[in-house]
Amino acid sequence: MPALFNLQPLELIDYTIANGLRVVLNPDHAIPVVSIAVYYNVGSRNEREGRTGFAHLFEHMMFQGSANVPKAGHFQHIMKAGGTMNGTTSSERTNYYETLPANQLPLGLWLESDRMRSLAVTQENLDNQRDAVKEEKRLRYDNQPYGQIFDLINEMIYKNFANSHSTIGSMEHLDAATVEDVQEFFRIYYAPNNAVLVLSGAFEVDEAKQLIETYFGDIASQPLPAELDVTEPPEVAATYREWEDKLAPFPAFLIGWKIPQRRTPEFYALYLAGKILYDGESSRLYQKLVKGEESVIQLFGFTDERRGPSSIFIGAIPKPEKDLSQIREIISEEIRDLAAHGPSSEEMEKLENQLINDAVRMRQSSMSRAQAIAEFTLYDGDPELVNRELEELLAVTPEQIRHAVGTFINTDNRALLDVVPAGRG
Amino acid sequence: MNTSTAPKQAPPSPLAPTAFEIPRPFKTKLENGLEVVLFENSRLPLVSYRLAFYQGDINDPPGKTGLTSAIASMITEGTENYTSKQLAEKVERLGASLNAHSSDDFTIVSASSLSLYGTEVLDLLAEVTLRPSFPENELDLYRRNTVEHLRFQRSQSSFLAGEQAARLIYGDHPYAVASPQPSDVEALERDTLKAFHAEAYIPNNAILIAVGDISREEFLKEVEEQFGGWQQGSRAANEFPTPPVREKRTITIVDRVGSAQSNIVLGNTAIDRTSADYFPALVMNQVLGAGASSRVFMNLREEKGYTYGAYTRLNTKRLAGDIEATAEVRNEVTGDSLKEFFYELERIRNEDVREDEIADAKSFLTGVFPIRAETQEGLTNLIVNQHLYGLPADYLETYRDKIDAVSIAEVRAAAEKYVRPAEMAIVVVGDEKEILDQVKPFADEVEIYDTEGNKK
Repeated sequence: MPALFNLQPLELIDYTIANGLRVVLNPDHAIPVVSIAVYYNVGSRNEREGRTGFAHLFEHMMFQGSANVPKAGHFQHIMKAGGTMNGTTSSERTNYYETLPANQLPLGLWLESDRMRSLAVTQENLDNQRDAVKEEKRLRYDNQPYGQIFDLINEMIYKNFANSHSTIGSMEHLDAATVEDVQEFFRIYYAPNNAVLVLSGAFEVDEAKQLIETYFGDIASQPLPAELDVTEPPEVAATYREWEDKLAPFPAFLIGWKIPQRRTPEFYALYLAGKILYDGESSRLYQKLVKGEESVIQLFGFTDERRGPSSIFIGAIPKPEKDLSQIREIISEEIRDLAAHGPSSEEMEKLENQLINDAVRMRQSSMSRAQAIAEFTLYDGDPELVNRELEELLAVTPEQIRHAVGTFINTDNRALLDVVPAGRG
Repeated sequence: MNTSTAPKQAPPSPLAPTAFEIPRPFKTKLENGLEVVLFENSRLPLVSYRLAFYQGDINDPPGKTGLTSAIASMITEGTENYTSKQLAEKVERLGASLNAHSSDDFTIVSASSLSLYGTEVLDLLAEVTLRPSFPENELDLYRRNTVEHLRFQRSQSSFLAGEQAARLIYGDHPYAVASPQPSDVEALERDTLKAFHAEAYIPNNAILIAVGDISREEFLKEVEEQFGGWQQGSRAANEFPTPPVREKRTITIVDRVGSAQSNIVLGNTAIDRTSADYFPALVMNQVLGAGASSRVFMNLREEKGYTYGAYTRLNTKRLAGDIEATAEVRNEVTGDSLKEFFYELERIRNEDVREDEIADAKSFLTGVFPIRAETQEGLTNLIVNQHLYGLPADYLETYRDKIDAVSIAEVRAAAEKYVRPAEMAIVVVGDEKEILDQVKPFADEVEIYDTEGNKK
């Protein structure tokens, strides 16, 4: 780290209450706000066949009322208190969170505990939220040019159903969901011993502990769900597919690779390799393709981090007259170069500064702190990783990056999705 | 699991409130007229800079649409001392960010970094602002890439809806132009960029705002060094036509074949950012549609399930503004959604809002204020907006009091004045053959456009 730099660790108080709810407190009085994050250990990976999209539909049901909160009352209580809130679903987890003026901590804890204890489910609310989710699917996926390509490529990368199917699910499966399914899902997965509660912001630790005991202490624990099998063979499920996109104005392609799980040295090395290849205007592929060759309109890449086999993607929307295979060859050349020579010392210096910058910015808001802490607690059982991850990332060597690129990306074991614009009008 | 409607527990009372104040920043002015605002805050080792010009897309010279935006995009693509690639490498090697963009009213050069590199980043900000070279090859790439982006955005229904709404609401006022045309961009020449940069990027039309872990003395010394020699200039004030007075409802359909949803925008002119009605209009909009507990969301999503989200938004610009109601709904409920929108737009005009509704709207608007200021970027944006729109020096201190002072009668008056369903422009982007008959009953006039922006 640059000599002048000294990043204070976050203060963390980590404990578990009698019913098994894991709690982490991060007191920080800089701004009089508090964030609450509740992470349940359930995501789309837990869905059974025939019920894709269910974990996300269920997330919507968590805003539809509980014993003491009417339908949509959650939004209203939070907003009238001057807070912000949301919930999201990924393959790995479902999270619920709110940021409130510091003095409204009891309200936030009461609301989260009420739905953990006593979710209310009616046919009417299920039908209504099914409709809202279908509109969300149309808005974000079906009515967007290129909106479905990430779901498609996951089916090409992963062989295990738990990993390969989409989080938004299919219209047919959403239609098939019943009130009984919702009740069963709630019982199995929404138990205090299958969740993590994190508070970050301006609160007194003793007062917070007491409030948590008051509101969550009497919620019954449940037998934990069976361990999920997310293992994968190294081979991708399919190496090539052509997709006709009726809203896309230009051809495009997306390449995806299967890589080791999050927080392994290999995953960290590939995350950094990705930054070198596609992150920012000084990245190799931006300089080659957007600047040098002037052949693409848009270049993008990212890593999808999971507790099981994960993935890394590179995609491009080339200019209309350009040869797609030539652009892919340039991407392959840069990957080969990185696998042969590793990153330069300038690139390592850039990574170091960017990683420190990211770590400092994460600490700015109570919500981003709470979410980072909740992930490490839920996935790794260790909230202190929030204070150690930067060091782990900074410890990755150029040789580790070179080797990981050679092993996992410089290979034909990858999925290639070609997007073909399919007749408009 | 509980499905009964047994006796309810009341939500808990709040704890004692904690005060939150944003102290006033340090201000000074250089001899050349550059305003300088410094907000020292050492909570985290970060700095943010904004160098803003009171000059935006609406100030493009006649026949040169897209010039202001092109200059903003191009200043980071090469300077007297560095190539585009060298600039990108210098900035990113510090883990920093540096970029410029223009909006309708302003041009803002932004930079942020670890405070450790604060001086280097400020120097780079000065370099791109004062000494851009507009290399011919970079400008050529900009023209070609921008033309492709303009084509690409025509595939997105939100762009098409916004483009039509702006045209219908603002008429001959330049706020009507959502985006330049490819021919505008293709016509941009290096000499024009250079000349307009020299004319528009002048210290006496600019403000430099710095927020973060910064030592005042060192900062002021560096500012003097970097910007002290910047030559003043003069800019004539532009005159703009007033937005049109709409007399009746109209329907504009953009036929986007194959749409899975209809993108609806209803709108009319409202207030500019400094209007005396700003706070009543803000509270009114909160009750009507700004959030997930507002009326239109509760109706169109929570009751009807027509959409993933339905909102209203108050767009307040420097010289004018509008109010818009928006939702993306499934094709077959396009007409039903218009009906519910108009029901809510009429109701907010014709009935007083309830005591609890106005109280909830106010407590939301005052409560989220500290949350908005939690990150350095959030705090910087509050300070930047206050200064660019020329809001009073005590604006951030008195914001919450002004919200609290709004009455039910003022909300009603704001609704009567600014929510005018009888004369709104209705824009629907969707598949014409599926939606035309549903939409027709809502106005006498229907015009149909294609996705290229041509009237059919």
